Amino acid sequence: MGWILFKRAVRDLKAGWARYLALSILIIFSLFIVISLMGASVTVMDCTEISDRQLNREDGEFSVFVPLRNDELTKLNDKGVTVERMFYADYAVNETKVLRAFKVRESINKVGLIDGRMPEKDDEAVIERRYSEVNDIKVGSRITLGGIEFTVTGIGAVPDYNNMIKKVSDSVVDSKSFGLVFITSDAYDKLYASGASLSSEEYYYAYILGSQMSEEELKNTLEDIEFKVSDVDDKYFKEYWDRMTGKKDDLLDAVEKLNDGAKELSDGAKELSDGTNEFHDGMHDLKKSVPDLKKGIKSLDDGAAEFEKGIKEYTNGVGKVATGASSLSKGAKTLAKGTKQLNSGAKQFGTGMDAYARTVGSMTKSENPYVAGVAKEMDGSTKQLASGYKQINSGVSGVNSGASSLSKGAGQLYDGIKKLNSIGATLRSGVSSLHKGTTELRKGANKFADGIEKLYDGSAELKNGAKELADGAKEYADGMQEFADETKDFVNEYFDIKSSNLMLFMNHSENPRVGAAADDVQITYTASIIFGVLLVMLFAYVISVFIVHMIDQESAVIGALYSMGVKRRTLTLSYVAVPVIVAFISGVIGTVLAVLTPAGIPAQLQDSLSYYSMPEVTIKVTPFILIYGLVIPPVTAFIVNVLVIRKRLRKTPLALLRNEQKAVRGKDLKIKGLKFISMFRLRQMIRELRAGLTVILGMFMSLLVALMAINTFVYCSRVKDFYVSQTKYEYMYNYKYPTEEIPEGGYEAVAESLRKEIYGYTFDVMMLGITKDNPFFETGDLPDNDTDVVLSSAVAVKYNLKTGDEFTLKDGNGGRLYAFKVAKIIDYSATLAVFMDIDRCRDLFGEDDKYYNVVFSDHALDIDSGRLYSTVTKSDIEKSAGIYVDMMGPMITVMSTASAVIFAVVMYLMVKMMIDRSTFNISLVKIFGFRNREVRKMYLDGNFITVALGALVVIPLCKIIMDYIYPRYLVSNVGVGISPSYPPELFVAIFLVIIGLYLVINFVLTGRLKKINPAVVLKNRE
Amino acid sequence: MYIETKDLKKSYGEGGSYVQVLKGVSIKIDKGELCVIQGTSGSGKSTLLNCIGGLDGIDSGDVSVAGTLIRGLKGERLSDYRRANLGFIFQFYNLVPNLTVRENIQVCEYLTNDPLDIDELIGVLGLTEHQYKFPSQLSGGQQQRCAIARALVKNPKVLLCDEPTGALDSKTSRDILVLLEKINRQYGTTMLIVTHNNSIKNMVDHVIYLKDGEIYKDYYNETKVPAAELEDL
Repeated sequence: MGWILFKRAVRDLKAGWARYLALSILIIFSLFIVISLMGASVTVMDCTEISDRQLNREDGEFSVFVPLRNDELTKLNDKGVTVERMFYADYAVNETKVLRAFKVRESINKVGLIDGRMPEKDDEAVIERRYSEVNDIKVGSRITLGGIEFTVTGIGAVPDYNNMIKKVSDSVVDSKSFGLVFITSDAYDKLYASGASLSSEEYYYAYILGSQMSEEELKNTLEDIEFKVSDVDDKYFKEYWDRMTGKKDDLLDAVEKLNDGAKELSDGAKELSDGTNEFHDGMHDLKKSVPDLKKGIKSLDDGAAEFEKGIKEYTNGVGKVATGASSLSKGAKTLAKGTKQLNSGAKQFGTGMDAYARTVGSMTKSENPYVAGVAKEMDGSTKQLASGYKQINSGVSGVNSGASSLSKGAGQLYDGIKKLNSIGATLRSGVSSLHKGTTELRKGANKFADGIEKLYDGSAELKNGAKELADGAKEYADGMQEFADETKDFVNEYFDIKSSNLMLFMNHSENPRVGAAADDVQITYTASIIFGVLLVMLFAYVISVFIVHMIDQESAVIGALYSMGVKRRTLTLSYVAVPVIVAFISGVIGTVLAVLTPAGIPAQLQDSLSYYSMPEVTIKVTPFILIYGLVIPPVTAFIVNVLVIRKRLRKTPLALLRNEQKAVRGKDLKIKGLKFISMFRLRQMIRELRAGLTVILGMFMSLLVALMAINTFVYCSRVKDFYVSQTKYEYMYNYKYPTEEIPEGGYEAVAESLRKEIYGYTFDVMMLGITKDNPFFETGDLPDNDTDVVLSSAVAVKYNLKTGDEFTLKDGNGGRLYAFKVAKIIDYSATLAVFMDIDRCRDLFGEDDKYYNVVFSDHALDIDSGRLYSTVTKSDIEKSAGIYVDMMGPMITVMSTASAVIFAVVMYLMVKMMIDRSTFNISLVKIFGFRNREVRKMYLDGNFITVALGALVVIPLCKIIMDYIYPRYLVSNVGVGISPSYPPELFVAIFLVIIGLYLVINFVLTGRLKKINPAVVLKNRE
Repeated sequence: MYIETKDLKKSYGEGGSYVQVLKGVSIKIDKGELCVIQGTSGSGKSTLLNCIGGLDGIDSGDVSVAGTLIRGLKGERLSDYRRANLGFIFQFYNLVPNLTVRENIQVCEYLTNDPLDIDELIGVLGLTEHQYKFPSQLSGGQQQRCAIARALVKNPKVLLCDEPTGALDSKTSRDILVLLEKINRQYGTTMLIVTHNNSIKNMVDHVIYLKDGEIYKDYYNETKVPAAELEDL
């Protein structure tokens, strides 16, 4: 049975050949494109992998300030790391073309020759493929660099410049003006020695890791390698180094002094605190003694009062004493007179005594014992009397003398008392004053005591304050020490860029130059697979609509066959045979055309070959591609059709025999208030919902393709327009060794290359610190805080950022993250740039307040090339901006055309089928007397509404989907941030194109409507 | 009995549209019998045929064909039942339009391991000269002959014919009936013919007359007339 029903399928194919041919052509065309893209993608990926392996593609590369010493290289080699020099310098071929000269590589990133041979002599060179192609340089051609002429002996490509961008941060390849040249080692040295290079030599190394060292370890090892300044012979470097290291020392000295100052401050504060402690203690004692003082002063005052009183009494006494003394003096004189008389009496008494004594003496000698005895008794008392006399005489003498002295003294006393009396008056006056003074003193002492109280309180506060000050000063000193340590570390680290030799470290996956073609086509490959399946599904679905139509027509036959015992599976297979056959044959043709014709894979391959610098490429067709091309279409057609027709074939044989229709869609829909034709049209639309939805589905699929093309067109056009219109400067000088003074006429800026990842790709984002007067960027007032920045629209679009968002960027080695907030977004698409004030930028990156490394200018400046990394001119940007349009133009045309054809064919087939299905009904209404115009309104104009409404829904829907897909999958590897948003008129244009296509199809089908002959149709029906 | 229905009931619709088409029909047909089911439009004759053919489900009662109870059979088993036992002939032939006469017959050839010889069958049915024509190139009678051949090629035990002459003119109808009679005789095929044509009852062994879903008459024809002699077809 199978083959019998297969015959039926074949005949069905023959019967509907035009329709199936149209669909087949679409499938062929779609698969041709898809397989071509897949084949080209696989070829690129495969060739890249093979050539990378054969040419020993690097695992990564790094650049250093000065070339590594042999011992440093040996150290790396000992760890199993293979390292090879990739030094280069750029040379102008003419005013617009630059060649980057390398020595011939020996072990890593070797040149893959496409033609010719490697250079053997010093005047021979191999030219990079793309440059040679674009500039029509062939083996045997001659080029001149730095005044030295080279003969081109070969054309080749290297794995580390698969994407021929001049700088890693560049987004566009311009092989017309930039290429590579490989020359012998001696030739290279000789060329560089000529001094003709546009900039100083760059010291790049490529590495291949062994098994002993990881990438991280290698990076750490390289970071630890320092260089000797004496090893550098670049005069610009030396000048720069001296300037920068001088600043480092100044900075470190300043920090050291600051630290010392902080220590002294701390010590001083400590002493101050101690002093205030002592002061406070003293104040405490003072405070304690104040009551005693007050008491003492009171006593003093009281004493002074008493003293005053005493003095008064004293002076009174002295007066009296003076009077007494006067009397005394007079008495003394009298006494002196009396004593003189006494003395004279004493002398007389003495004479008498002598006479008495002699008498007694003589009596003692008397014989008279009585007399002698009495005389003897008398003699003793006479002697005592004589002795007493002597003493009296002596005393009288003394009294006499004393009286004399007394008299004299009394005179003197009197004189003295007189004097004392006069002094006493003075004393009295003084004591009075003294008393007044002590009274004042007493009052003062009270005030003093109050003052001391306050002073004490103040001293307590002072003490506490001094303590806090001391503590603060200590903390400050500690902090200062930490700050000094940190600053030293920071300064050392910061200036380490000058002392650590490593400048850049990048593994191959981060390097946009390496494997870019394979990365690029990976997206194409994935998109092709998906779009291929989607397109085949669309076409299979379109076929299934016909099959469903056929099943409806053959319902009774199917019922009859079921009645006989034919199984559903058999019939299902017979009905899906047509779409499967169509899809299979179309798949085969499409695949064969893609694989075997130059317009297939080779043509698609040109997209890669004309942009990327690929080595020798051999077309590769993998089993998967063949399976995809040969198996996916029939399998997809099978699945789609089985899913669609399964339900129809599930009816009972009786239902099929009776050709029972499922309840007509919308039969319950109450339509009121419409004229008959409008109502009929609406019901017809509902009845033909499946076909209408298929038209919309076709519109959706074709619009996706169309919008991909339009998005690409808008994207590329805007790159071309915006890059030029938004680039206001004429020259951008990127300094390696900036001069101390900014070149006149230039606007300095600080540019730091940071990185940010999105959708699996990491791009350089230029942090640009600009001056307020920079006329080239319309940033307005730049934020004056540390976190807010102004974004270029490129960054905002690329990273989906809007005002107020926060985002981070990381430094080149990924070690440090910088967080920012979007303050403003400006229209600037030419670079992924973030703007901030130059001083803040300097602060952020620890540069001094005069640092700059970029100068913008509206005219050429006289800057020594040896100081520069590169110079970007507006004309460079103009040239590169147009490359996208040139490159993508053919693809845009093909895709736009393809989408229009897909849509037109699907719509044509569906509308035609709708008419076919309604042929009987149309005949009837014609018989009823409806005119062609009315019939058209009833049966065709509903399609217009379907198409118009569908377009209104599908266009924005497709745009939303494409805007989601586009940045994530189609330009995710491009470092460009441009919104492919459409102006409103473009949406209108797309809508009008759809309506236009419909009207053309409608016009064609209206002719068919007119041709329907009711009699013939009714007869056929019968 | 080769074909037997017991108290067969069948209804359609629900609520206001409920119609009981068969109201407890019980019939018995012997093997090799040529039987006609007659009745007016809406009497339930086609429904009875469809129930026997397993094309329509039954509400209650039993249907047995060649010892197979149909009630409860579903899906593949029902297909297998039809495949093994039945051949169908319809009023509007229901031929696959883009297959030739021969190919239409061959479609059912594979359904059995013991098909009839297709060339012989084509010869018997007088389609030899038309065997490579498409249905659209044939007359109604030729198409119906093709449909008969398609039904017979798998050598069914029972041939169910639903108004086989309904779309044919009188002469062609007679030709078809003659052919059916011949097949019944030649292959011993049990035939159940649903028709509203009153003349056909004269050529069959067994007549069942349905009225409003019930057996109105059920009798064996004692005065059987050859199909070729039928009048008023």
